[in-house]
Amino acid sequence: MDSVHERHYLIIWLWLIALVAVSVAAASVLPKPHAIVLIFSVAIVKAFLVAKHYMHLKNERAIIYAIALVPIVFVMILFLGLVPDFVWHLTKK
Amino acid sequence: MTTQTAAISEMESPVGKNGTWWFLASEIPIFGGLIAAYIVMRLGSAGWSEASSHLNFTVALLNTFLLLTSSMTIVMAHAAVQRAALKRAAHFLGLTILLGLGFLGMKAFEYSTEIGHGFLPSSGIFWSFYYGMTGLHALHVLAGIIVNVVLWSQTVTGSLAQQPHRVELAGLYWHLVDIIWIFLFPLLYLA
Repeated sequence: MDSVHERHYLIIWLWLIALVAVSVAAASVLPKPHAIVLIFSVAIVKAFLVAKHYMHLKNERAIIYAIALVPIVFVMILFLGLVPDFVWHLTKK
Repeated sequence: MTTQTAAISEMESPVGKNGTWWFLASEIPIFGGLIAAYIVMRLGSAGWSEASSHLNFTVALLNTFLLLTSSMTIVMAHAAVQRAALKRAAHFLGLTILLGLGFLGMKAFEYSTEIGHGFLPSSGIFWSFYYGMTGLHALHVLAGIIVNVVLWSQTVTGSLAQQPHRVELAGLYWHLVDIIWIFLFPLLYLA
């Protein structure tokens, strides 16, 4: 059972390394706008893998999800509040 | 372990975990705010691509590898301590410490090279953000290493057997430090 856990952690690590390789390849091959979308999508997937499997969020209680999600929602509100700035800067160029 | 001690341990573990998660939650707006400010400033300022081209991508890639690997070793330590395999836990905690020190050593090398080329925090807004964000992250890595050293010494002496959940709590912190780097690496070195 324990070696099963360790093998699982090792497989997640291999996925994380493979996703880093995808990001690096995307940065050097794809046009910049497409690369940026892919790179940050991959970063979100990597963070999700670490949180779910290494931080064991998949087995956690609802209170832990609540504690973790509240600041993420605040940060997302911050980003949404800055969208006009992002758009203004992008259209200015 | 007496029934009373077992009951106390069961009560202490969730409290420690809730507190750790509250602490981790407080870190998210700090780095989230920095990242949001970085994006706004980057979109609004010219010449950032040129400035970021002076960063050492190879060192950053190696550091990404070290930190991702250390996340795996600390979760292995957690798995080991759960089955009371303290020697194996000490082995994985030691590896985590070495990987963390490797990360800081590479970061110090990167900083010294950049400073040697004249790129100081005062050299421009990109460099202010770069040193600010990576420096704050490096301080978090250092704090994690100190906690891991304490836990490692407790595994060696055997005293961790009474508080095995501490490895899980230290691991949660270490994984958050890893997640922060997962976003800093593409933001500074790839985008």
